[in-house]
Amino acid sequence: MREELAPHVHDINRALGNKVSEQEIERELSSYLNVYRVSLDTAKRSIVKKHGGNPATLAVGVSKTIRELVPGEQSVNLLARVVAVYEKEVTPQGQETKTILSGILGDATATVPFTAWEPLPTPLAKGDVIRVQNAYTKEYRGQVQLNFGVRTAVGKEAPDALPEFKPGPGQPYVSKPTPVRVVDLREGASNVAVTARILAIERREVEVDGNPKAVFSGILADETGKTQFSAWKDFDLKAEEVVRIEGAYVKSWRGIPQISFDERATITRLKSDLLPPASVLNASPRMWIEDLAERGGGADVTLRGILIDLREGSGLVYRCPECRRVLRKGACRLHGEVKGEPDLRVKAVLDDGSGAVTAVFDRELTEALLDKTLDACIAAAKEAMSTDIVRDELADVLVAQPIEVRGNVTSDDYGLMMIVESAKMLKVDVQAEAREMLEGLEGPA
Amino acid sequence: MREVAWRLFASEYNDATLEMNGGGERAPSYVVTPLGAKVNRVFVVGVITDVENVGTDIQPMWRARVSDPTGTFHIYAGQYQPEAAATLSKLKPPVFGAIVGKSRVYSPEAGTVFTSIRPERIKAVDESVRDYWILEACRSLRKRLDTMAEAQKMDPLTKEGLAKIGVKEAIADGIVQAVNHYGTVDLSRYTAMLAEGLRYLLPEYREPANPGEATAEPAPAAKEEAPSEPDETELKVLEIIATLDKDGKGAPWEGILEAATSKGVAKDALEESINSLLDKGLIYEPILGRMKKI
Repeated sequence: MREELAPHVHDINRALGNKVSEQEIERELSSYLNVYRVSLDTAKRSIVKKHGGNPATLAVGVSKTIRELVPGEQSVNLLARVVAVYEKEVTPQGQETKTILSGILGDATATVPFTAWEPLPTPLAKGDVIRVQNAYTKEYRGQVQLNFGVRTAVGKEAPDALPEFKPGPGQPYVSKPTPVRVVDLREGASNVAVTARILAIERREVEVDGNPKAVFSGILADETGKTQFSAWKDFDLKAEEVVRIEGAYVKSWRGIPQISFDERATITRLKSDLLPPASVLNASPRMWIEDLAERGGGADVTLRGILIDLREGSGLVYRCPECRRVLRKGACRLHGEVKGEPDLRVKAVLDDGSGAVTAVFDRELTEALLDKTLDACIAAAKEAMSTDIVRDELADVLVAQPIEVRGNVTSDDYGLMMIVESAKMLKVDVQAEAREMLEGLEGPA
Repeated sequence: MREVAWRLFASEYNDATLEMNGGGERAPSYVVTPLGAKVNRVFVVGVITDVENVGTDIQPMWRARVSDPTGTFHIYAGQYQPEAAATLSKLKPPVFGAIVGKSRVYSPEAGTVFTSIRPERIKAVDESVRDYWILEACRSLRKRLDTMAEAQKMDPLTKEGLAKIGVKEAIADGIVQAVNHYGTVDLSRYTAMLAEGLRYLLPEYREPANPGEATAEPAPAAKEEAPSEPDETELKVLEIIATLDKDGKGAPWEGILEAATSKGVAKDALEESINSLLDKGLIYEPILGRMKKI
């Protein structure tokens, strides 16, 4: 016990500027831990506070396994393997867009999503073993999230510092699977049963722990919705057939729930007329944003709303030829001054009265909405000597207008985002709808 | 998460006397309406009837009035809303305007509450956008009316009880707050407001004449109106206002009265139809004593 606590005693002592004796600190610490039974983190902070120090100067966090993490921890230390890592652009309210690092860390006990809000001294790659000190945790959508802030130190360790963790086949399920409709799939659910029609399936080769493995992925649907699936075993599934999958689990990709199943699952083939035909199931379900917000996202959904605002970076933009980032003042934040490649895009706030998403339209869609090509936009901007003219024209055409959009909705810390696949301005027969509603209110005229 | 932009009528918004602070430094604040809309952001489309600088030349504060079929929104844009202020200062009322903004409450003394909007974006739009907004505002009002009717049946009223009938948590919170603050509100007033909004969109309720249609109108007992005559008077008055508005500043009241009397419209009837035209958003008062057609 004493040896384990020694670094923490030193840490407290240092935070207090050596004005309290180590024996005294050790006595207090052990009293907090053994008599009052608070967590080590709380104990250290309390002692520092009690003696007039600043708990934020504590440097030695408490080493934990990922499974032990709870939301709201101020200083956690971890040894973990990078399971996935990607960059993303965020725009905190009232600040410039910046690129942050996000991904998943794993150890033998569990995995946890992480976000690095500050640039890291070393780049991270999938498979790296890292030691994280002074990270903090928060709750996001009911899940623990690990955050790296200004005080967080991240260093690489040898790959063998952490035993390779094999996700493996997992334990066989013992209880009966829970029947779930596609629309009700939620991240983290396991041993679910889904009755659905396979709409599409393809075989892909992926690498798992350095070995090639076949995964059969595609889209399945019931009357309530569609979802991506991944089968880690060849069940000889074919497009169009109706199956019951028992013993599947649900993961999510950027907020979109997806279903996965492996050799633990059982597949039962059912009569084809049990579900509507593929042509019907393939339709993109019309959804309210408040429902998407609750689920965290959705695959191939249709939204109707009003574009109430254009965000920064809409219109004619120039991208870095290396990394496709949008240049700011002619420079890429990674590659410096480069010759930018012109592109058109719209980032707009779509609000349907129940919630809001950021809708991103690519060049092709933007050209169609503007009824103007990229080249025409470049020419117009040259003549006006400002790219604002393109943005203003877009605002003219789009803002305050009702629109229907279709695409995948994902979520991150800043809310929901749709990468729009198709869009059309809505023409609504206002009178017909008003008449119908009035009749519902007062009876037919 | 970005706050949703509520579509709601001026009359419901202006009825609100409850302000809620989320607690904490940066927490958003809300205006809760009698029907339980917990409003931080609004989206409004209406007729911007006048824009005025109520600040100074150095520190302008632009005030705009935006009318919808039920009442008037007050919009204030100052130095901290540079874009909206610039747009407002250039607008030539009357004009259809779409406004996205934040809800604001001003309470100069205990018991007096004024609601207003601090705009984020303002855009001049056309009539079709305004009509679609009215439809959306009606849909939204309808939903709140239905939910509030259910809520008024519950005893005790709890968020959990509302969740059981499928009300989302954020909505349920507004409803519980509203009932605690306003008590049991009279829903018929808002049902009438909804019908008024819908009729505004329908030509059969706008156009005069055609007595056949007029009698078919299921006039609610509370809002008894003589079927066709006021419409004719209103038309006359509208015509008078249009003819007398020679300099674009609006028709003077004395002139309207004189012309109306000569066309056989009594003063009382004239005042009534002017009020009705104002309510319907067909005319407005650019300056005191002058009327202008929209």
